[in-house]
Amino acid sequence: MSVKEKLKQVLIEDLNIEDVEPDEIADDLALFGEGLGLDSLDAVELVIIIQKHFGVEIKDMVESRPIFESINTLAAYIEANKS
Amino acid sequence: MRMAIQGVGITGAFGTGVDALRTALQTGQVPAENKTAENGYQAPVDKLVDFIPKRALRRIDHFSKMTLLSASLAIQDAKLETADRSRMGVVIATGYGTLQTTFKFLDSYLDYGYACSSPTHFSNSVHNAAAAHVSMQMQATAPSLTVTQFEMSVASALLSAQQWLAEGRVDQVLFGAVDESCEVLHYCRNQFFGAGEQGPIQPFAFDKQSAVAGEGATFLLLTADSEAAPYGFIDSVQMGNHTVSPLQLSNDELFIIGADGHRQCSSWYPQAVSDSNAVAYAPLYGSFLAAAGFDLAVAAVSQRDETIYLCPESSGSVGLLPTQKLTSQPLSCLKFDGGGNYGLIRLSR
Repeated sequence: MSVKEKLKQVLIEDLNIEDVEPDEIADDLALFGEGLGLDSLDAVELVIIIQKHFGVEIKDMVESRPIFESINTLAAYIEANKS
Repeated sequence: MRMAIQGVGITGAFGTGVDALRTALQTGQVPAENKTAENGYQAPVDKLVDFIPKRALRRIDHFSKMTLLSASLAIQDAKLETADRSRMGVVIATGYGTLQTTFKFLDSYLDYGYACSSPTHFSNSVHNAAAAHVSMQMQATAPSLTVTQFEMSVASALLSAQQWLAEGRVDQVLFGAVDESCEVLHYCRNQFFGAGEQGPIQPFAFDKQSAVAGEGATFLLLTADSEAAPYGFIDSVQMGNHTVSPLQLSNDELFIIGADGHRQCSSWYPQAVSDSNAVAYAPLYGSFLAAAGFDLAVAAVSQRDETIYLCPESSGSVGLLPTQKLTSQPLSCLKFDGGGNYGLIRLSR
């Protein structure tokens, strides 16, 4: 399973997003606001999800805001930082 | 001070709502879909979306969903959906609280450290979380409280509700009793009682361990004494210890007893009441600490229907009371814990 596929799966499971299938989340869909509709508490959960499932730490949430834009940006960050 | 019961909301293994409870009382049956593979009982929450948008429920755990559903049903039953609820208090009785979420949070802390502990799990594991969800969703902005005292939780919490009404701190109280069945609970019960929780629950087989884990939530909408009380009144709530101060109960009274197949607790009932004037309904909702609230809900429905329903067939009672008209006989709910502590709730019509 690719990083993007796994990301979509854990997002749905861990954030308890109902009525959405992994393949319905486009790689460039905005995760917050109008897109998938995530909010600030989800952002905190996302940091935890990425550390727990991918072993990649996000230390500064403000500086890291661009990482949370979409599945594309998140996957790129994970690929670049996983050990 | 006596309290008037204006509405009842409930979800348990028998289904959701007063009509489902009444059907279970009439048939003595629990729908097969609400029994788990381990022969346990589970409460449906699917009707919650009739009251609260699905999206708003995303971060709410099963315990709070059961709580919200039965609280919503109680408000609907009391016809207070559009009323000003700023002077409505919330009191919840629970034996263990949000066990599943609390252990999920602790597991995540143990497995991944504090940096990976879920804030959502944390916020739901706080003991008053379910009551807070009810207060927020129902806009019931008077005091909100959760009381935990194992088997005595319901009687103890009801005393608080009564006190709030007597003091005039609130105009109504949404009084609830909630407990959930989950993996952690099954593990603990197996440690205590062995793997033999196969049922059926036999409440009147007082010397036999036959308990099976159940779950559910029920709410009563209570007001101070009022002319209108569709489900009658709670006249008094009494707590004590049968060893220190033995209960003196009249043979003229009818009792819904909280015997649920726990041998240690059940051994107290024959010391206080006779089989011939007692009924028990644990086989309809399972064994859990807050089930005394379900006994109270059954008492409320019995008063409304003016009927005492037959115990489920498996009860193990020698002289089962038949379904009968509830006439002038006073009706009470009695719950014992393993140490002889009791909660006695007396009702009237």
